Amino acid sequence: MTIADSQPFIRPDGKEKVTGAGRYTADLNLTGQLYAKFRYADHSHARILSIDTAPAAALPGVFAVLTWRDVPAVLYGGYVQDRRLFAKEKVRWEGDVVAAVAARTPEIAAEAAGLIEIQYEVLPAQIDFEANAAAEAPLIHEQWAEYEADESVGLAGNILGHSSVVKGDADAAMAKAAIVVKSRYVADASQGAPIEPRAISAEWHGDKVTIWSSTQVPFAARSGVAHALDIAESQVRIIVPLLGGGFGSKCDFHFEAHIAALARATQRPVKLVFSRREEFLAPDHRREGMIIELETGTDPAGRLLARRGRLVLDKGAYCGEGGFFAQMAAMHACGPYKIDTINIDSYLNYSNSQPSGSVRAPTAPQACWALEQHMDEVATAVGIDPVELRRLNIIEEGDVGPTGQIFEAIGAKETLTAALEMIGYGQELPDDEAIGVACGWWPSFGSASGAYVKLNSDGSGTIITGAMESGTGAVMGLPLLAAQTLGMKPEDFSILYQDTDAGPWDMGSSGSQTTFNNGRAVIAAATEVRSKLLDMAAEELEAHRDDLVLAEGAVRVKGSPESHVTIAHLAGTGEPILGKGSGVVPDSPEVDASTCVGRLGLESFLAPQLMTQAVRVKIDRATGVVQVLEVAAAHDSGVIVNKIGADGQVYGGVLMGIGQALTEATVFDEEGRQRNPDLLHYKLQTASDAPEIQIRWIEIDTPNAGPNGSKGVGEPPSVPTPGAVGNAVAKLVGRHVDRLPMTAERVWNTLDAARAGTP
Amino acid sequence: MTSYLAATSLEEAVAALADGARPIAGGTDLVVGARQGKKPLPEALVGIHRIPGLNGIRDSDDGLEIGAMTSHAAVVAHPTVRNRYSGLADASALVGSHATRAQGTIGGNLMNASPAMDTGAPLLCFDSAVTLASARGTRNLSLADLWTGPGHTSAGRDELLVAVHVPAPPPSTGSAYVRLQYRRQMEIAVVGAAAVVTLSEGTVTAAAIAITALAPVIHRVAEAEARLIGGKANAAAIASAADAAAEASRPIDDVRASANYRKAMAAVVARRAIETAISRAGGAEVEIPASESTYGS
Ligand SMILES: Cc1cc2nc3c(=O)[nH]c(=O)nc-3n(C[C@H](O)[C@H](O)[C@H](O)COP(=O)(O)OP(=O)(O)OC[C@H]3O[C@@H](n4cnc5c(N)ncnc54)[C@H](O)[C@@H]3O)c2cc1C
Repeated sequence: MTIADSQPFIRPDGKEKVTGAGRYTADLNLTGQLYAKFRYADHSHARILSIDTAPAAALPGVFAVLTWRDVPAVLYGGYVQDRRLFAKEKVRWEGDVVAAVAARTPEIAAEAAGLIEIQYEVLPAQIDFEANAAAEAPLIHEQWAEYEADESVGLAGNILGHSSVVKGDADAAMAKAAIVVKSRYVADASQGAPIEPRAISAEWHGDKVTIWSSTQVPFAARSGVAHALDIAESQVRIIVPLLGGGFGSKCDFHFEAHIAALARATQRPVKLVFSRREEFLAPDHRREGMIIELETGTDPAGRLLARRGRLVLDKGAYCGEGGFFAQMAAMHACGPYKIDTINIDSYLNYSNSQPSGSVRAPTAPQACWALEQHMDEVATAVGIDPVELRRLNIIEEGDVGPTGQIFEAIGAKETLTAALEMIGYGQELPDDEAIGVACGWWPSFGSASGAYVKLNSDGSGTIITGAMESGTGAVMGLPLLAAQTLGMKPEDFSILYQDTDAGPWDMGSSGSQTTFNNGRAVIAAATEVRSKLLDMAAEELEAHRDDLVLAEGAVRVKGSPESHVTIAHLAGTGEPILGKGSGVVPDSPEVDASTCVGRLGLESFLAPQLMTQAVRVKIDRATGVVQVLEVAAAHDSGVIVNKIGADGQVYGGVLMGIGQALTEATVFDEEGRQRNPDLLHYKLQTASDAPEIQIRWIEIDTPNAGPNGSKGVGEPPSVPTPGAVGNAVAKLVGRHVDRLPMTAERVWNTLDAARAGTP
Repeated sequence: MTSYLAATSLEEAVAALADGARPIAGGTDLVVGARQGKKPLPEALVGIHRIPGLNGIRDSDDGLEIGAMTSHAAVVAHPTVRNRYSGLADASALVGSHATRAQGTIGGNLMNASPAMDTGAPLLCFDSAVTLASARGTRNLSLADLWTGPGHTSAGRDELLVAVHVPAPPPSTGSAYVRLQYRRQMEIAVVGAAAVVTLSEGTVTAAAIAITALAPVIHRVAEAEARLIGGKANAAAIASAADAAAEASRPIDDVRASANYRKAMAAVVARRAIETAISRAGGAEVEIPASESTYGS
């Protein structure tokens, strides 16, 4: 099945969301509930000498004040267990939670949080994440050697992670290259910035807690709570009402255990709702700042002979789920190109600023922005058009990737051709407009996932899934797959989702993998239902099972359409018609990465998604303000299961990519405090800024992939956008802007430097 | 706990003000600021949206009288404002987003006294005045005498802004307001400038230039005006006046821009505002808002 034969399917949760009828976590109120407020660190780096909660506890209306003393002495974190629910010896960033209050009103809770007296020995804030790797730099985590850590992450002092990609002898190849180009790019940190600030409510019944949370990963939140409070997962139920966006920032376990602990201490339901400011400051989750140094050697024609690179990523204060970033960034410093030899080192360093976590395609937009601008610099040095350089080197079926992966059928080159055609590459443009092009890639993530499908007595169906709908429409699209398997209509299905007591375990809305993995599970579950229907129909119709087909809500005998029985009839017999499934997780392609260090299982790209974006921008040279006028996005995401949903991901992703390119950055002061934790100064793009976006799907039936030969869709659209914008801007400015975002002032400064000829 | 009264007459409103209440118009500064933690909501609020006669634009040969409760959306939609007071339309067209313009009022904009407010500079260049009412009586005050610092006005705490008076400009007058912005909605001026220019056979007979977000209060720049008045409206004179406007600025360094960049941009927006005002004075149609129409010029 391809786009051509898939019918458009409007997501069932759309109407309630746009009309305001939908209910989000903050809309939920429980009888007798209290309100939570956190007391955050007063410094970005300080030793805690004492904490006195008595003045807060004495305030009328306060029911509980908790610190590290009141919860199990448990450390947590994805790859390195380096964090506690409440800071104990030290605070390591401005959002570290020192205490939590539950009170009768939010105002009392806030006042009480302010009354807690904390004495500190203030330490210098170590914001310079590159300098933190130096041997003489003071340790941010003195006990790092005692932490439980994934061995392959490479924890050593202030370096949380180190990964390398090594292919052949890059030094030797570089020495022999006809053309060598070196570049250095620096990307600022940025945010997921969901419009819904996070909210949590928790209520205990006996020794079981129900937690309503605006999380993207209910099962990870559940295991986080169980681990941090030292209880069983069966004692924790996470329910997610409608989620108002996450963009990755609501991945990982965040504050659910704090609120559960408050609810347990007070024996009352407790509710937390973040202010916009807290949504910026408190989550240990933002897009990482990055330093990207690249060097490429080519032959005289522009064939890539060698790539060396050094990447330094800002991990911030704690690991969270972002321990794999060094490795992921290293892959993006290679990009979807044939390169004979490679030697890239990538470091993930602690600092006293907000921890980095997965935000839509973690590490990729920044690394791709640097690499793709570097590629344009290489093309200039070779003396060919940047597009020619890409055409010459882009990966195709049978090519060998950076770590020895051999690529199956992929449409990288086709995306390049399509994007150029859509944008009209080569056309005459006014002198304040230019077209920039960037290619990128992103893996699909194979993971276990499960679903149940059951038929109701009228022949309608219900899908029960562990998958999470973060707004992408992925869960909303699952009925398409069940309907296709059962010869029913997608409208025939209801979906029960986002409840850890209902659906099977799922990795959540992360890694662009909901359709990829849960789609497979739904098909497997529906296939069981189908099998049951065929058995029942065979008996009823006295036909052979193999002669039956399911279509239009009925089971028919092939060749004699009158002989049929409706699904509704079979379902109405009272016989339970249930299916469950998970399907077989596709294996990661084999690699030969024996020389690489810091291997976390991401050194090959399963069912890689390839994309090229071409953008036309217009510059205001007097101010440096850049407007993106047009974007042509060509993507190979395999076969497209739901075109409306997939297109939506490109529209949103491109706009997010433009924000990263031009306006979005979290700016820190010397103490590591955010200077712009609000939506006026943290500049997202608005609907009015959106350019015309054209989309083309290069549909290649991909083996070893998701349902129907599909790959992921959600994260890739923002990967190449900043690089494409950067390349267009560079054509107008006369040199590459080496800081991300390429703000008006930075563009203007670069224009100035280009005119003056200064470095 | 905040108390709230929705006044239905001017008398009721000014009596509440005399008792210490603060007025609330659209609430887009007051309420949003309180939620952001800038300033808590006042103890007592008096709503002024139900007072008859505060909302609307009266247009006569003498000029405009704009009621304090008139929304930015109503200002931009008004044909006379667009044609004869285009600089004001440019400004109201830029305020916030569609929602902010529907909700935010001209009275609130002026009384909030932000140095980055958009309607201030064009109104100042038009020599506008405001009517302030209190239980003590009513007085008119030149707009130039209203602002005393960021967030501060010379109005008494018991005074309500009732209307803004904009004298009719002479024939062959054009005006414009241009600001530097990083996106097209939900933006505040990084820097801005307004110009009102009157021409007679290619010679500038009158000019008013004011700068926004470049000093603690929005103010006119006499030196910039002097460089235009009496001369030909040519590129050199315009550039010289724009430079004077930039020189008069005292920009700050903050997360949105460095002082250095702001100063340079002051010259750019001033030049664009003057150029646009001149072409409008000459009868040319320049789309509103001028900030967008002059992009890249
Ligand atoms: C998202 C957003 C974007 C914005 N963008 C812009 C922008 O681009 N440009 C811009 O200039 N502003 C902007 N603003 C600020 C604001 O919208 C405007 O200043 C608006 O005109 C304020 O009007 P209001 O009626 O909402 O004022 P209110 O919030 O009701 O009042 C503001 C202040 O004025 C006082 N006040 C109100 N009316 C009177 C009166 N008649 N007499 C005496 N005192 C009075 C109030 O007591 C209060 O102190 C933005 C605000 C938001 C929330």
